[in-house]
Amino acid sequence: MTDVAQKPRRRGRSLASRRARTGLLFVAPQVFGLLVFTAGPLVASLGLSFTNWDLVAPAPTFTGLENWTHLFADTRIPAVLWNTVRFILVGTTSFLIFSLIAALLTYTPRRFVGVYRAALFLPYVLSQIAVGVVWRWMFNSQSGPVTNIVEFFGVPAPDWLLDPATAMPSIAMVVTWQTVGYGMTLYIAALQGVPTPLLEAATIDGANRWQRFRNVTIPIISPTIFFLTVTSLIGAFQLFDPVVAMTGASVGGSGPATAGGPSNSTRTIVLYMYNQMFNYDEPISGLGYAAAIAWMLAMLIFIVTAVQFAVGGRFVHYETERAPRPRRRLRGKA
Amino acid sequence: MRTARAQTALYHGAMIVLTFAFVFPALWAVSMSLRTDENMFAADQLIPHPITFEHYARLFGALPDLWRYFLNTLVIAVVGTAGTLLSSSLAGFALARIRFPGRGALLVAMLLTLMVPVHATLIPQYVIFRELEWLNTPLPIIVPLLFGTPFATFFFRQYFLTLPLELEDAAAIDGAGSWRTFFQVFVPLSGPAYLAIGLLTFVSLWNSYFLNTIYLAKQNSWVLTQALQSLIGRYQTEYGAIMAGVTLVSLPILIGYLIFQRRIVHGISMTGLAN
Repeated sequence: MTDVAQKPRRRGRSLASRRARTGLLFVAPQVFGLLVFTAGPLVASLGLSFTNWDLVAPAPTFTGLENWTHLFADTRIPAVLWNTVRFILVGTTSFLIFSLIAALLTYTPRRFVGVYRAALFLPYVLSQIAVGVVWRWMFNSQSGPVTNIVEFFGVPAPDWLLDPATAMPSIAMVVTWQTVGYGMTLYIAALQGVPTPLLEAATIDGANRWQRFRNVTIPIISPTIFFLTVTSLIGAFQLFDPVVAMTGASVGGSGPATAGGPSNSTRTIVLYMYNQMFNYDEPISGLGYAAAIAWMLAMLIFIVTAVQFAVGGRFVHYETERAPRPRRRLRGKA
Repeated sequence: MRTARAQTALYHGAMIVLTFAFVFPALWAVSMSLRTDENMFAADQLIPHPITFEHYARLFGALPDLWRYFLNTLVIAVVGTAGTLLSSSLAGFALARIRFPGRGALLVAMLLTLMVPVHATLIPQYVIFRELEWLNTPLPIIVPLLFGTPFATFFFRQYFLTLPLELEDAAAIDGAGSWRTFFQVFVPLSGPAYLAIGLLTFVSLWNSYFLNTIYLAKQNSWVLTQALQSLIGRYQTEYGAIMAGVTLVSLPILIGYLIFQRRIVHGISMTGLAN
């Protein structure tokens, strides 16, 4: 009797613990990766930010807060931050708006809509270097098509990438052009989830098109708006490839060290970090200073994201009643 | 009736203009790569006449190691994708389907990691890889991927959550443990998820530039994006050769996009599940 009662319980416990062990084994590579390639280096990076190292010396020299005080005094830091803000003002906002417009134009099933979607999404799969190189020519002030189109309308074309005032907005336009298909795709999925009865009910209540969009559609797709805002801002802070492709020098080497012009108007945080990482000429530079810049970047991203979660929570509407499972199962089958 | 038709016509007219704006640069790049130098800036050359391959010949002449950059890129993209798929799907499966201590904490840690920019972990990694004499080899880029990426792991977790609970029960009745349940029941059922995340990972590795430019400084270890970037400095305004480079780098992705377009777009909309 006791035997019978105990046996299954003991076996049950050992089964659970065996499963738990398997679970740990399954996640072991990922946990190892997170510790060795993310957590460890993140801490080590902070440590390095208190040192000076040019890679020639056998080990870094501890310099205390020198890098950090220099960072706050370095006039190039506010300049690169301002460049990022200029990118966000033009690029991130236009990305969020235009991808919603693109989704609104293509989310209802109708003729050729698949072709339109495929075309709008196409630039997203191409390399930012390839796209940047092509747009560099599109913006060419003598023979570039963009210049020709603008001048066709009788407007004098700006110098695009060659003018400090327009270079960053031009890059932002290209990044928006390239990523709009991605935003569109996520918005389409969200728009298709707006329940038709809700829109019909609003119509019966006398809501016009704009009111339905503003008061029904927007709240329901607000989680997607929030997701895209958070992720595109994280991306904006890390801008690098398009700037190198569009502003890298056209004489001699064209690597990242030559990019960021004209007059440093497109130098981003990451570009500056890259240049400091391999710059050992200034007294405060090299790996230590680059690590400080990288940590500043990480903290900026963290703060901006945390603020969005704090503020966004009030505007984002999550439908808790709707069980997400059945919908996903359907998608998985398709 | 007439207004409805007019509206439809207006809609398609606008969409054709828009489509053109998104496809045009790619078409123009291919077109320029096939034009003679005299015709480079002529407006009537969208379909080049005569067609010339001299820019491609020039490109291979200037970058005799082009096949090598192609191979380097391919190795990074293939091995990196395979490693990510294996490790991330294992971890994603456990996070979705197996109860083990620390599961909640791991999930939170992974979501936080999504916020950490690669740059904040780059410098110590660079030092370590330099110490290991891995610079100018694909290892610094491939090896971290072999342990999975938080993005892919999270994606797989979300996917495995959607599969019916009865699957494990049936497998357990057949006497299968977690390993067999995973490899013989879940993996075969998850083709769409593997294809989606596999394509996205492959494309992003094929197109990547930043990490490569850090780790692969020596010219014979370059990948294609680096070779392409170097053309700007080499050819300045010789657009034919530069556009030939753009075409060659993009062609495999373009072909893949034509074949897998639905899968890729579907995969992207699945990543939106993260919210």
